[in-house]
Amino acid sequence: MNAAVIFGLLLALMLTGMPISISLGLTVLTFLFTMTQVPLESVALKLFTGIEKFEIMAIPFFIVAGNFLTHGGVARRMIHFASSMVGHWYGGLGLAGVLACALFAAVSGSSPATVVAIGAILLPAMTKAGFPNKFGAGVITTSGALGILIPPSICMVMYSVATNTSVGALFMAGVIPGIALAGVLGGVTWWRAKSNDYPRQPKASFGERVKAFRDSAWGLFLIVLIMGGIYTGIFTPTEAAAMSAVYAFVVAVFVYKDMSLKDVPKVLLNSANMSAMLLYIITNAVLFSFIMTSENIPQALSEWMLGHGLGMVAFLLAVNVILLLAGNFMEPSSIVLIFAPILFPVAVKLGIDPVHFGIIMVVNMEVGMCHPPVGLNLYVASGITKMGITELTVAVWPWLLSMLGFLIVVTYWPALTIWLPKTLGMM
Amino acid sequence: MKFLDHLEEWLITFLIGTATVVTFVAVVHRYASGLAIPGLQDWLLSINLSWAQELTIILFVWMAKFGAAYGVRTGIHVGVDVLINRLSPQRRAKLILLGLLAGALFTGIVATLGGRFVWENGAHYAIFKLAGLSLDDVLEGPTTPDLEWPTWIVYSAIPLGSSLMCFRFLQVALGFWRTGELPHHDHGHVDGLEDAGPGAEFDGYALEDNLHPHDLRSAGAAQTGARADDGGRAK
Repeated sequence: MNAAVIFGLLLALMLTGMPISISLGLTVLTFLFTMTQVPLESVALKLFTGIEKFEIMAIPFFIVAGNFLTHGGVARRMIHFASSMVGHWYGGLGLAGVLACALFAAVSGSSPATVVAIGAILLPAMTKAGFPNKFGAGVITTSGALGILIPPSICMVMYSVATNTSVGALFMAGVIPGIALAGVLGGVTWWRAKSNDYPRQPKASFGERVKAFRDSAWGLFLIVLIMGGIYTGIFTPTEAAAMSAVYAFVVAVFVYKDMSLKDVPKVLLNSANMSAMLLYIITNAVLFSFIMTSENIPQALSEWMLGHGLGMVAFLLAVNVILLLAGNFMEPSSIVLIFAPILFPVAVKLGIDPVHFGIIMVVNMEVGMCHPPVGLNLYVASGITKMGITELTVAVWPWLLSMLGFLIVVTYWPALTIWLPKTLGMM
Repeated sequence: MKFLDHLEEWLITFLIGTATVVTFVAVVHRYASGLAIPGLQDWLLSINLSWAQELTIILFVWMAKFGAAYGVRTGIHVGVDVLINRLSPQRRAKLILLGLLAGALFTGIVATLGGRFVWENGAHYAIFKLAGLSLDDVLEGPTTPDLEWPTWIVYSAIPLGSSLMCFRFLQVALGFWRTGELPHHDHGHVDGLEDAGPGAEFDGYALEDNLHPHDLRSAGAAQTGARADDGGRAK
């Protein structure tokens, strides 16, 4: 009964359009004041300790690192490198777009910013080379979402915060699915380009490739620094994030010289703005999951599932449907923070690997970023290409469908995700 | 008011920057003190940086609380706006106002709760002691484990930050009531694209996405006037 009231209230508050963090907070307060004997003091304490974990601090650090490298100059280097590598194949510039998006998204950590940076530079070039507008828009919109699967990923840190799963193992688990999904998107691009006979670029010489790689390597080394540091145990994930923030600052200001020292406060302020918004949702989501636990909602759910003989297959299908639906209303971080604490205990009880479950959630989030009504990538792409949302939604379909296919593969083939972290002994 | 705005921006910039430097220095120190360089090693080993982690957390908690208030002013807090963006402008305006006032209500309650918590956990003792008042039955508050700072000072970020956030919600609500405009955040902002062609000139502040309520201006008006109302960036 209480559970129905809690969820009803949360849903009602959210649909009025107030910030998600505020709806979560008000639901919790209403519950505390009217439905429970839990002393207010213990909750007041939760209010303070909600984000007092060193692991959570990886989020602001990763945002700082990403913001230093979210710059047109970095995007240009990645595009140059990508097109020197794959530009001579069918759909050359399109394939280069997929690769450049994957690299830039991983480094910058923001999907919409990836669509803007890569799209603004690459789309005019594609149009000039003779690609139809909607082809380029489809490639960039979907590939821009790759960033949350390829580490470092803030979405994964959120999941690890909500479920106490190892960030390092999640990051490692994201590598192969990330590369595979980039391969799938690239495959669709190649196939569409081949069947429509879209232009190819002249093949770059070995020297050009080396030069393009050297230019972009400074930015790409960020990923190596984080993954290598965490894997070898030199850094904890949060320390790795802080090191990458300082590294990104040095690269942006002193190596690439994309920005000067006086731009630094602005970058920090923007990072603080974004981090604080996410940390504020975390604080309130922690409170919310606290009342869910005190009401035994996850346990009730898993007992109900087991009582009806619903196994892993049905549960994972239900999870995908729920998350895809939620992707119509909310952005990824909020979905992970609200749904992970509810679904995770059930998943564990059914014997699903925590890391595998995290990757399933993240791939779901990627799909949600690419379709209306809330997929930010789509809206940003519409801003760049001056295409309408409806037209763009149609343009995105071939890639979005293949993404959904990939989601099914990831869901029911755990080895794809957990083989690498298992082999490396991280879980 | 301008002073408060700048103070807020300056504070959160300083907090996030300091936290990064502190963690970086602590890690470098940990590995550098393992290098067998005569003199330098002894000096590094004599410095104790075990408090760095705690300080980072404190800096980020403060950054989060005041940054959340700044976020109200820049319109970064995301919501579920699929439904209300389909309503008529009059109805939408009512719900937007309701949402902003709900924000003010929540942050107001949290500020009160937090204030009471801080008061009972040491602020009462510290202030009365400072003022030379009687301290019967008043306990001294706890301190943090590594830095040994009084926790009430650390935790006062909650009442202070939440009060400021409450004020920002009221401020935005008043502004919306008067002009029908809301602050917008550009989630896809990228510098260094000036010469990238026509696509890069689009206005990220005026995206009609459904993570934020659409305010009462038409899309056309939003294209031209949006940058002016983003106080955080358009300084």
